[in-house]
Amino acid sequence: MLELQHIHKYYNPGTVNEMCLFEDFNLRVEDGQFVSVVGSNGSGKTSMLNLICGSIPLDSGKIVMNGQDINGMPEHKRNRKIGRVYQNPAMGTCPNMTILENMSLADNKGKPFSLGFGTNRKRIEYYREELAKLRLGLEDKLSVKVGSLSGGQRQAMALLMSTMTPIEFLILDEHTAALDPKTAERIMELTGQVVEEKRLTTIMVTHNLRYAVEYGDRLLMMHQGETVLDQAGEEKQRVSVEELLTKFNEISIECGN
Amino acid sequence: MMTIVLGVLEEGLVYAIMALGVYITYKILDFPDLSVDGTFPLGAAVTVRLMLAGFHPVFCMLAAVAAGMLAGMVTGLIHVKFKVRDLLSGIIVMTALYSLNLRIAGRANVPIFSQETIFENSLWERIIPAGLAPYLTAMILLVLVLLVKVLLDVYLKTKSGYLLRAVGDNEVLVTSLAKDKGAVKILGLALANGFAALSGSVYCQMNGFFEISTGTGTIVIGLANVIIGINLFRRLTFVKATMAVVIGSIVYKACVSLAIALGMGASDLKLITAVLFLIILVVSSLGKTGRPGKTGMTGKSGANGEKRRGGKAGKEGAPHA
Amino acid sequence: MKVLGKGKKRMALVLVVGLLAGLLAACGTKETKENGAVNTTSQNNSNTDDQNKEADNSDESNTPAEGEEGNNTSENDTDTEGSVDLVEGSFTIGIGQFAEHGSLDNCREGFLEGLRQEGFVEGKNLTVLYDNAQADGGMASQINDNYIAQTVNLICAIATPMAQSAYSVARKQNIPVIYTAVTDPVLAELAGEDRVPVGEVTGTSDKLPVEKQLEMIRQVLPDAKKIGILYCTSEVNSESAIAEYKEAAEKYGFEIVTGSVSTVADVPLATDQLLPQVDCLNNLTDNTVVSALKVILDKADAAGKPVFGSEIEQVKNGCLATVGLDYIDLGIQTGKMAAAVLKGEKKASEISFEIIEEAAFYGNTAVADKLNITLPEELTKTAAEMFSEIAE
Repeated sequence: MLELQHIHKYYNPGTVNEMCLFEDFNLRVEDGQFVSVVGSNGSGKTSMLNLICGSIPLDSGKIVMNGQDINGMPEHKRNRKIGRVYQNPAMGTCPNMTILENMSLADNKGKPFSLGFGTNRKRIEYYREELAKLRLGLEDKLSVKVGSLSGGQRQAMALLMSTMTPIEFLILDEHTAALDPKTAERIMELTGQVVEEKRLTTIMVTHNLRYAVEYGDRLLMMHQGETVLDQAGEEKQRVSVEELLTKFNEISIECGN
Repeated sequence: MMTIVLGVLEEGLVYAIMALGVYITYKILDFPDLSVDGTFPLGAAVTVRLMLAGFHPVFCMLAAVAAGMLAGMVTGLIHVKFKVRDLLSGIIVMTALYSLNLRIAGRANVPIFSQETIFENSLWERIIPAGLAPYLTAMILLVLVLLVKVLLDVYLKTKSGYLLRAVGDNEVLVTSLAKDKGAVKILGLALANGFAALSGSVYCQMNGFFEISTGTGTIVIGLANVIIGINLFRRLTFVKATMAVVIGSIVYKACVSLAIALGMGASDLKLITAVLFLIILVVSSLGKTGRPGKTGMTGKSGANGEKRRGGKAGKEGAPHA
Repeated sequence: MKVLGKGKKRMALVLVVGLLAGLLAACGTKETKENGAVNTTSQNNSNTDDQNKEADNSDESNTPAEGEEGNNTSENDTDTEGSVDLVEGSFTIGIGQFAEHGSLDNCREGFLEGLRQEGFVEGKNLTVLYDNAQADGGMASQINDNYIAQTVNLICAIATPMAQSAYSVARKQNIPVIYTAVTDPVLAELAGEDRVPVGEVTGTSDKLPVEKQLEMIRQVLPDAKKIGILYCTSEVNSESAIAEYKEAAEKYGFEIVTGSVSTVADVPLATDQLLPQVDCLNNLTDNTVVSALKVILDKADAAGKPVFGSEIEQVKNGCLATVGLDYIDLGIQTGKMAAAVLKGEKKASEISFEIIEEAAFYGNTAVADKLNITLPEELTKTAAEMFSEIAE
């Protein structure tokens, strides 16, 4: 379970550019919930993810993960339980290392990076199986450097790598936005499968309203640091893209643009 | 003829150890680390100090490595904890080490001609036949360098080594893997400077004296070795990068030797080195257009190389008599 | 794009070939290299060359100079312009100089002159390879490697690091090393306490005549109490000289105040700081400090305080006076030692290193006038040379 309590976050405090992003923002995500988050630019979606992961500091408030206040815990320690896929496919893999080496790296997450051999030969078959599930032919390219793969292939690997070891939370930060529609579709399919299979508590930020509607069991629309729409369960199932679009336009008009 | 080959080999091999360290920082970590200018003589200073205190040369070498690693860690800590820029943290440590090295060695020039070294000791005298004696230094160095190279190769294949490579490649991923990227960088810098100090330790044993001025320009030699090596063997995929660095180191010294033999002065040599650098960098970056994936990496490295040379340009060693 | 790509590949290929060719060339074709080296050195030493010609015209007989007593100091000036008998055979020597520096250059000049007087004439029976390491320790050992590869008969090393480096390389091949301008060969482990060389390595020391200098300063400035000395912490010779000055100062009623620098750039500040505390400044042969002599002189002039030098060059350039070494003499003395080794009269290991004992007084009247100081007559009478202007 993940809880954001009374979050306050200002950007550039004390300067003319001071900007209030969150003022008493609250959110509670139950175990196993798949939350899709939509919202206009600057609504605080990505900032929220960054606050959860510890990439940016909090001004005040509490972030509680499984009952523990994780405020002050450095980013890399939080990541023990979190898997994150970024918008940029290059962020989730090491371009100058081979597919096999990347898989090995991911496989070692949470274990000590000792002087044991980086690649466990016994695991190669497992990596191959996992890669085969992506249906991108990567299982035959184990010794190819990831840098020479396409964006879609890399993002698929990034998804696979971030969910390979037992984690509890999956953070998806517009992870299909940089891909072509067909590849995006494929990555979304894979995402759905992985979340289902591993029962991950997931927060997915997306600009694709259709994905937001189709995937997940809770939908959040954010605007200027506040939740303007929050629907779960039955209610969420009934939401349509049209409805969302209407709501979207409403808040935009309120804003005067 | 044989002597010059041996001379080049010896010089090249000694510096190859340091170049392997520079390879870690420059190529793997993508960290322009200038502290090697201080850690190379640090290794020598520690060695002469301990040797004169009666310690075994091998122990002196290990102590030199430890001292170098410590200095590397300091560079890393300055960079990671105090958020000082990479180049600057190296410069800070390099500058501090100049004074420290003088303190450690006691004087600017300390001879160890009369001491037993890894090259000259009673053991070799007993077991090495006279006919092999001229090749002894080169052989010992070859064994040592290969040992260091293989160790580095093996290390880079360990989990820890993977992480080191990952941090230079994609810091974000390392954080995602729940590892502290700062700690990995510090580790990498410690390793690299341990190599540099080992190189300095071996160098002073080979030459029979410590001299504070030998540190000046170490980074330039190291970069030259790495860049020449990596670019010469770029197309030969069966040559490992570490081997390329070792060979590059020998090639560089051969070029220097040639320049001296042709009657070029040391003062011109720096310019020639710079031009050689530039040509190799330009040719290699041109040759790579159209090959995706790697371009970004070397583009970056190239820029760093430029920067570093710029930083070095105004620095002149204090002459001594 | 593709066409271009090919062109680049070709460039890379050319480069690789060039490097390889370089490697090969470095290993082979010794003669061409030697020729190249001869050319460069003969340019550097054109004046000695002229002298050679002279010598050549007057005497062409190849009688080997047998058992000449020339390997000792005494009469340096006797046959400078005269004719010499060429020693039979042809010899190659390497002269490695550690840094570019007036007095070190004088050493080299003197060294060649010393050899000439003993019948080794550059361009006739002597090939000289000359290199300067530009104060780069790594460079020094490569220069010496090169000499070994050229199978020189002898290496002349100028300044301490060069001497150590030369010895380190040459001892494996048993090539003799003759050094000069090494302040303390014992400290440098080139000789034992008894001045006996540790191997085939010997030469001359440029140890400063500290006591005589202090005595001279006392004569020039009867009321002075404090002498300021600037030195560079990374120059090993300076530290030992300072220690010696401090030890001897009391005897002449002086107190030594030191100012340390680590680079040339520190000199102006260090001078400013030191000047008000002292009655005069005294230079060592510290390369770093001497490089900035002009700055020191300007500041001292402004303060109206004299600066004493440590060798002729400094007096020529504006120091008041010195009881110092003539590096040319030092070089000549060294050259004669080298000649003895080349002739096979003695092995380097059999010759103890030498120190110039008689230091001479050098003064600069132009500086004295500027500072309103009269140099005592007992000094000027015995002066080896008096300068009446300040060299720029």
